[in-house]
Amino acid sequence: MTEYSNRSQYPQARADGSLDIDLTSGKYLKLWQGPNHPGITGNMSVELTVCGDEVVEGKTHVGYLHRGFEKLMERRTFIQCFPIVCRICVPEPDFNEYCYAAAVEELAGIEVPEKADWIRTLILEMGRINSYLMYLGGQAGAFGLGVIGQWTTYARDLMLDRFEELTGARIYHMFIMPGGVRDDLPEGFDQRMEETLQEIESTLQDVYDTMFRNAVFKKRAVGLGYVDPAWVDEYGITGPVARGAGVAKDVRRDQPYLVYDRLDFEPVIATESDTYARADVRRRDLLMSVDLIRQILARMPRQGEVMATLPNVLHWKIPRGETYVRGECSRGEYGYYLVTDGSGYPRRVNVRGPSYTHAMTLLEKLIVNVNISNVAGLMVSLHTYPPEIER
Amino acid sequence: METLYARLKEPFGLTDWVLQKPDLCFVTVAREQLRPLLLHLRDLEGFTHLVLLTAVDWIEEDRFQLTYLLHDRAKARDIGVRLMLPREDASMDSIHELWPTAATYQRELREMFGIDFPGSPRVNEDFILEGWADLPPYRRDFDTLQYAHEAYAERAGRETRDPARHMKEQLYPDGGQDD
Amino acid sequence: MSVRDLLSPFTAWKNLFREPVSIKDPFNRPASERYRGFHKNDSEKCIGCGTCEAICQNGAIDMLPADGVATQPGDSGLRPRIDYGRCCWCALCVDVCMTGSLTMSNEYKWVEADPDKFRFMPGVDKKHWDDYEDGYRRPDGHRLNAPERIDMPELAPAQRIDSFVEMVTGYTVEQAQLEADRCVTCGICVATCPTHMAIPDYIRAIRDGDYERGLKLLYDSNPFSQICGKVCTRRCETTCAASHEGDPIAIRWLKRHITEQVPHERYREIIGAPGPATGRKIAIVGAGPAGMTAAFDLARAGHQVTVYESESHAGGMTRYGIPEYRLPSDTIQREIDLIVSMGVEMHYNTRVGTDISMQQLQQDNDAVILAIGLWMGRSTRIPGSDHANVFKAVDLLRRIRDGEAIEAPKSLVVIGGGNVAMDIARSMARLQKQQHGEIAVTLTALEDKAHFLADPVEIKESIEEQIHILDSRGPQECVIGDQGGLVGLRTWKVLSIFDEQHRFAPSYDENDEQLHKGEWVIEAIGQMSDVSLLGEELTEQLEWNRGRLQVDDDGRTSESWLWAAGDCVKGPDVVTAVATGHKVAASIEAVFAQQEAQT
Repeated sequence: MTEYSNRSQYPQARADGSLDIDLTSGKYLKLWQGPNHPGITGNMSVELTVCGDEVVEGKTHVGYLHRGFEKLMERRTFIQCFPIVCRICVPEPDFNEYCYAAAVEELAGIEVPEKADWIRTLILEMGRINSYLMYLGGQAGAFGLGVIGQWTTYARDLMLDRFEELTGARIYHMFIMPGGVRDDLPEGFDQRMEETLQEIESTLQDVYDTMFRNAVFKKRAVGLGYVDPAWVDEYGITGPVARGAGVAKDVRRDQPYLVYDRLDFEPVIATESDTYARADVRRRDLLMSVDLIRQILARMPRQGEVMATLPNVLHWKIPRGETYVRGECSRGEYGYYLVTDGSGYPRRVNVRGPSYTHAMTLLEKLIVNVNISNVAGLMVSLHTYPPEIER
Repeated sequence: METLYARLKEPFGLTDWVLQKPDLCFVTVAREQLRPLLLHLRDLEGFTHLVLLTAVDWIEEDRFQLTYLLHDRAKARDIGVRLMLPREDASMDSIHELWPTAATYQRELREMFGIDFPGSPRVNEDFILEGWADLPPYRRDFDTLQYAHEAYAERAGRETRDPARHMKEQLYPDGGQDD
Repeated sequence: MSVRDLLSPFTAWKNLFREPVSIKDPFNRPASERYRGFHKNDSEKCIGCGTCEAICQNGAIDMLPADGVATQPGDSGLRPRIDYGRCCWCALCVDVCMTGSLTMSNEYKWVEADPDKFRFMPGVDKKHWDDYEDGYRRPDGHRLNAPERIDMPELAPAQRIDSFVEMVTGYTVEQAQLEADRCVTCGICVATCPTHMAIPDYIRAIRDGDYERGLKLLYDSNPFSQICGKVCTRRCETTCAASHEGDPIAIRWLKRHITEQVPHERYREIIGAPGPATGRKIAIVGAGPAGMTAAFDLARAGHQVTVYESESHAGGMTRYGIPEYRLPSDTIQREIDLIVSMGVEMHYNTRVGTDISMQQLQQDNDAVILAIGLWMGRSTRIPGSDHANVFKAVDLLRRIRDGEAIEAPKSLVVIGGGNVAMDIARSMARLQKQQHGEIAVTLTALEDKAHFLADPVEIKESIEEQIHILDSRGPQECVIGDQGGLVGLRTWKVLSIFDEQHRFAPSYDENDEQLHKGEWVIEAIGQMSDVSLLGEELTEQLEWNRGRLQVDDDGRTSESWLWAAGDCVKGPDVVTAVATGHKVAASIEAVFAQQEAQT
């Protein structure tokens, strides 16, 4: 296990297993990391109890960005929900659009044109690249390597340009809608995408040289936040955190959706299961996405519709039913549980984001015995986006 | 999926089976059978991953539906286990010993729906809301629009007209017949 | 940890010599072609239907009157004002826009110190991006509101051509729901309907499956709903928001659907019984739509209403002018029975002027309504038009509907391009098919195809029924053969119909002459009222306007006891007659109320 384990003899466990933390004893200090802190991933905070510079207990606090999406959707018609779902997760909004659209289509019995499936896959992979680029900058930054973030922001910006010309927006694309996608690829898109991919590959080589082959980064990331493969099911771990622990969990392969069954890829895994391993899984996964985008553009049909015929969306009702639709986002399993009751509004929508399990129970488990200075690095290594916890 | 249901139907008293798609089905189970069923699914049928635990408020039927969604990765399939609870003083047995992550879900359900899970770690601690005194907000009888009207001021100067009514005022204000 | 791990990071130094990647002038970076920036609205094209407001999930859009935009049929005069404090740039408003007037520019940077500036009416409040080329517009084929109409099932031409069986069979519930679903409930059509039926509301009732509510809404404004559901001229559909980029909602067929879904014996209960008797008496001359609508309203108000009708049945032109295949007699009868059941006294086969005088009616009643319609066909007065085998369309249609056995000629020519011309052509074609097995009907119209007065559906169906339609032909002579029989109609090609002052003055190309063979010629070029029943004295007293009775805005003539309604003052069509019927009833009510107040 990690080099930090069992370093402190405090606190002692009580007979019932809970920790005997007496804040008046002078041995402990309460420390809040967040909600305003550069070492925190977005709008959340961790309430740390430290003994010396070592964390003995950590509690995740969320609620700084609760917008009540699930409830808001119950008041909106099925089409009116489409523009708001992307806002649940800023860095990787497209999964919300896809999962919501797919769930609605399934319950309404709408057949999506094949070409739309290809474009959806393309968008999800573009989003994955963006999310990973953001992550790499954050992970490096958490260990003091600020320049990496500048580089990946540049690369991400290039991809945002592609998003802008394809979807008409940079961050909240609002492009995958129930029925298909809004529009076809713009003219000359393939060429510009290829240039962007090459630039990203080149940036990633620099990132590899300066971050992954960097003594400082290795010193701090290796061994930090070890995840036992046995915890994967217990803690609902998915995505790169599971794959970093050697569990080849990847919805794209396990339950292929969209056109993933027509693309060639193997889930990227590592076995060391620490912060370094997870970073490396994500780096290689990013490169795989680059490859997948090339495959998509090479194989996708260029003729045909991109949008199914919808009924008049103003009066669109969906029969009673329930379903769950999942996809593999950059952080793990993203899913929408949609319940309909025959009215024009969703009865209930539950958004299952991977951060929900990773940033709560798992983080609270991993954070014990970690040095304060490594809390940020550990948190980033779980790649959590708090808005999808509280929604 | 069908064979799974056929096998489990009798022993666990399952009802309302729906095969939503080839790899996803839903069943309803009685409260006392929930724990044995989840244990059976987890330990003997390969449904090791608790995907989510959430609730649906069927206020017209005066009950909550709890949905435990389990995933079997080896066979790439999911089962959604529904459990119906009376809405009043809703309380359910915790499953945090089965999956530690369930504690988070249960804490959220406690806060958002007011469904209690006695014994679940930190179940009564504020999760997302802080100092919330109103109805649990995800209940259907909590009116978000009304809450917004009460809690926030509308921007001044907003007004709108209904096209048909406006045309009547302009073209045939007496409501009489057309010329 | 190796030496490599210590040295490798230094490769970052290579970037020292690299050009900076940041954009040097970020203020002048144009957004992409389909960027969703500030809105543009083509105010000329916009009809103010408010569908953008309806779909906006943020409540960012208000519909408000705009300077320089007038409220007129088909345009509410409202324009969307967008609050950019709420807009989320999702462009659902652009996607759903019924006319395609609303689009977006690719402008995304605009700085103002006053936040209220970010609330404006695109296209009305001028902005510098109004003429930008780029920006989001709804992609081709991307529609959120089912632009295509659900086809009305009807008999195929071969099935219907030899009979007068109703050709339209009516929507099924599923079809009607789908068609009702297409309506965006903007309500722009309501102003166009002469009797202002609650169109979006009764269509909503279909969506809800609440047909009794729908029927109540229909009869609140139109006691001829069953008839209008079949033969209304449906001007509402010409202003339907859906007609701009798709088919208009089949409003007429949806109305028909409601009337078909409610059992007839339920009608009276849903519509409600008349009020308590008032002791006032009203006489109505003519049992057509206008007269019977007024009778319906006045009887329901508790007045004692007597209707005088010269024919043996009520219904007026709906019964004697519209062919059975469009409007079956039992539909008319049901409608009339319902009105009569409100306590209306009917006198059939009673011709006012002969059987009872206007003076008598005036003496016996508190008010009299003239609803005498247009029963006299106009003549072309071309040479030969006084021949025995030259007929007026209205006369023939009446005889056919009256059950008279008419021997159809082997060939005939119809003059006229309106709905009456189509009705007589198609009726005669059916008789020819029945009697001779062959159809030989030629229809000549002054107008060219693009300006035909008839309903396009009528023209399409006429062609399906092998009516030979010729446009731009001006009738010159009904040609009489050596034996004294009719040979046909001689026409010239029409060059223009109106002169520069828009007066009727057709000009012809005399070199383009044709003879259309026909044993009969039928004139269907318009009708007028037979006002002989008024008698000389009354005719003298009344004021006239170009041969029509002069009435005020309320339908009252220059004689204070006499009102007039229907085709004889306005129209001609059923729903206008209904509207004027309501109007005179309301006017009479108002006069009564005034009299009450004075006593």
